[in-house]
Amino acid sequence: MRIIWAVATNTIKQAIRMKIAAVFIVLLLVLLPVMGVSMTGDGTLKGRLQTFVSYGLSLTNLLLCLLTVIVSIYTLTNDIQQRQIYTVITKPIRRYQLILGKLLGVALLSTVLLTLFSAIIYAITIYTPKIYDADKSDLFQIDNEFFTARASLVPPQVDVAEEVLDAYKKLEKGDQLPPDMPRREVMAELTRRIQLRKRAAVVGERLVWEFDNVKVLDPNETVFIRYKYDVAISPPDLVIYGRWDVGDIRQVPPVFKTFSPTKDPIRTFRELHIPASMIAEDGYLAVSFLNLPLNDTTVIFPPDGLELLYKADTFTANFIRGVLLIWLRLIFLAVLGLLTSTFLSFPVAILLSLCILFTATFSGFCLESFDYLGENLSWIYFYTVRPIILLLPQFDKFNPTKFLVSARLLSWSLLAEAAGLMICIKASILLLLALLIFKFREIAKVII
Amino acid sequence: MNRELCDVKHKVTGCVSRDVRYEIMEYAVETFSLTKIFSDWWGRDKVYAVDELDLQIRYNEVFGLLGPNGSGKTTTLKLLLGLLHPTKGKAVVLGGDGADPKINARIGFLPEESYLYRYLNARETLDFYGRLFGLPPKVRKMRIEALLDMVGLKAVANRPVGTFSKGMTRRIGLAQALINDPDLLILDEPTTGLDPIGTRQIKDLILELAKRGKTILLSSHLLADVEDVCDRISILYGGKIQAEGQVRDLLLQTNKMQITTDTLSDNAVERIKKLIKDEHAECEITSPMDKLETFFIKTVVDAQQQAQPTSGAVSTTDISDFLAAEAVQESILDKLVSAPVSRQTPADSPKTEQVVPVETSEPKSDDKLLSELSKPVKPTQPKPVAHDRQIETQPVETEAPKSEEVKKSILDQLTDRSTPQNDDGEQTDKSQKQK
Repeated sequence: MRIIWAVATNTIKQAIRMKIAAVFIVLLLVLLPVMGVSMTGDGTLKGRLQTFVSYGLSLTNLLLCLLTVIVSIYTLTNDIQQRQIYTVITKPIRRYQLILGKLLGVALLSTVLLTLFSAIIYAITIYTPKIYDADKSDLFQIDNEFFTARASLVPPQVDVAEEVLDAYKKLEKGDQLPPDMPRREVMAELTRRIQLRKRAAVVGERLVWEFDNVKVLDPNETVFIRYKYDVAISPPDLVIYGRWDVGDIRQVPPVFKTFSPTKDPIRTFRELHIPASMIAEDGYLAVSFLNLPLNDTTVIFPPDGLELLYKADTFTANFIRGVLLIWLRLIFLAVLGLLTSTFLSFPVAILLSLCILFTATFSGFCLESFDYLGENLSWIYFYTVRPIILLLPQFDKFNPTKFLVSARLLSWSLLAEAAGLMICIKASILLLLALLIFKFREIAKVII
Repeated sequence: MNRELCDVKHKVTGCVSRDVRYEIMEYAVETFSLTKIFSDWWGRDKVYAVDELDLQIRYNEVFGLLGPNGSGKTTTLKLLLGLLHPTKGKAVVLGGDGADPKINARIGFLPEESYLYRYLNARETLDFYGRLFGLPPKVRKMRIEALLDMVGLKAVANRPVGTFSKGMTRRIGLAQALINDPDLLILDEPTTGLDPIGTRQIKDLILELAKRGKTILLSSHLLADVEDVCDRISILYGGKIQAEGQVRDLLLQTNKMQITTDTLSDNAVERIKKLIKDEHAECEITSPMDKLETFFIKTVVDAQQQAQPTSGAVSTTDISDFLAAEAVQESILDKLVSAPVSRQTPADSPKTEQVVPVETSEPKSDDKLLSELSKPVKPTQPKPVAHDRQIETQPVETEAPKSEEVKKSILDQLTDRSTPQNDDGEQTDKSQKQK
């Protein structure tokens, strides 16, 4: 352990004294406060905070990711290229100790920097409302919609398989099936239509969603319905009038609360504040929307268009978990950097690692697009490209900013999942590979 | 086995039968048809860097690997240390594999260029390598200071190694190779980049280390250096040994003789010539020449004594000059450091501490014997050869006897500190030997 520690401290000295880390540190130290002052978002205090946290964390995340990749690759490839490794590896140090020491050094450096910069972001975020002398309504809004961590419940997806089948049979009977269209495509189209129908309300129609297991800690709290309208035909003033009711419709007569008609712009998320006392003792809550005749169009809720939110934790705790997500990412990248540098030279290793970093950042998109493109390639795709993409970490799935900006609860279970997938499985495999490759590598190898 | 031998040694005191010793002694370095073929990107064999090499280096021998550039010297050393994997054959270093950490703990290695971390300063560099050997902080600190003194870099110890001149880097490289008080020292072209004084210092150091029972393997193409210090040499060409043997045997012209006398009168010369002619032999009479090295050092030493000391002079300090002032302090430091240490060691170890300083100042007959025994590795036959030859090749001794003493005391520190400190099995053996 003492030997690993010696290598680790040397690695940190290297990163700092060779001024690799300096660029990133200075950049962040300058940019973060500037962003805190200059970012106004949509003009409201909430918008300002959301933009700052979103951009600040993303920038910190990006720069620290790059730094981790560069340092982890530099430290080993430079030792090999400049041959300092000749004097190190001939000392009584085992090769795995060298790799682990380097990893520890890079991880420590990243951890310290991440702690520093996230502390700066946190401080700026907390002090922004005080600096801007926010009024009461602003404070109320940010307390409920920003400085909190809300758990989210989405209505369960309605199973439409049977309806689709019925509709298909009906078409088949009436001989109305479109020619030149395989069954699969017809079914997909039908599914899409029927699901859309379930989320749409024609004028005067009422949509009902039922939620179970709404567990609010404090009955005096508020829960939120977050919704977004889509429309068949855009109204001239781009607003929709609606009436919302919440309560328990299982009882006879139903107990519910009606809100005064709302007027909301389309395609924008809005929130309805509901007292938590409306939730039944067993955690049941029904929500209904009435498309008021004032509208002249069908209202459609997009797939992510309605959810129920309730406060589940504090902003601070959520922020810490968000930072931990970034930390897991950095550890993964440190391992990745070391792995690539066990068998590649500096530029090639950097290139490969950055490719992997960016693929991982957009892994959701990559998977989707490959899934789409790969349909025709069938098994070749499924047994080659897909496993490789799946082996990469999914940075976008575990992206903390999307949770913090919408004040969404980033649960410990999600963090544990990220840790399990990224570190325990993927990073461990990479580390094992790195140790194996380096163990058998001929350090002074010459190719003529 | 070693322990038994120690007991025997104690009883017989000095009259150890050489035969017993040779039976248990293996080679410090031995290779068996060691071969390294470098191939191109496609895996096709291209260069036979080392070809069926059979080396045998005895313990306590100064062995030189000679050869022109690209003859396989460095490749051989890399193979010994596990930096390269042999294509064929095997190398045994100190009875084990050169890549094994246990063996590495007893090796000091100076690569062909001192590959050091540019951003660390001299002291940090030595500290880093000391930590890789798992040396405890106290020992590390003590050794680092002693070594910095010895290589004359104490004044610049806080400067990053990246700013050092080549010679200074070489010195710090040598210091890192000595930090673990190695049994086997592998030096790849140790004197490149050093000024003549530095070269002389390294050569003296090699001889001194050899006297203390170290085995030294050095590669070089500077023939004068090799000739001065090596007991045996191998000349490599194309990865193969072209000639091998004792330097003296290889160079001795058995069909000629040399007589050196004080200046004689012309008359006497004529008579000798006549005498030789009567013997039907040829002769040539000239005055012997100083070696340029000797002359150079004499000149610089004179200049240093006359002129005021400059900053430049300090950076290329003669080891002995620099150490002279520190000598007394060092031995006090020695005791201070050793005091807490000795608690962990067998009860007799303080005795050893006393023995060594005595050896360096005024050797009494009994003490001398004791100190001889306390050396970690037993001296072997080649050693006297080294002595003789040293006298032969250095007609003028420029080293002041005083400086010689001082250097010894530092080397003693190095040697003795490691013995009780390392909890390695190997080292414990040694400390038992010292009883």
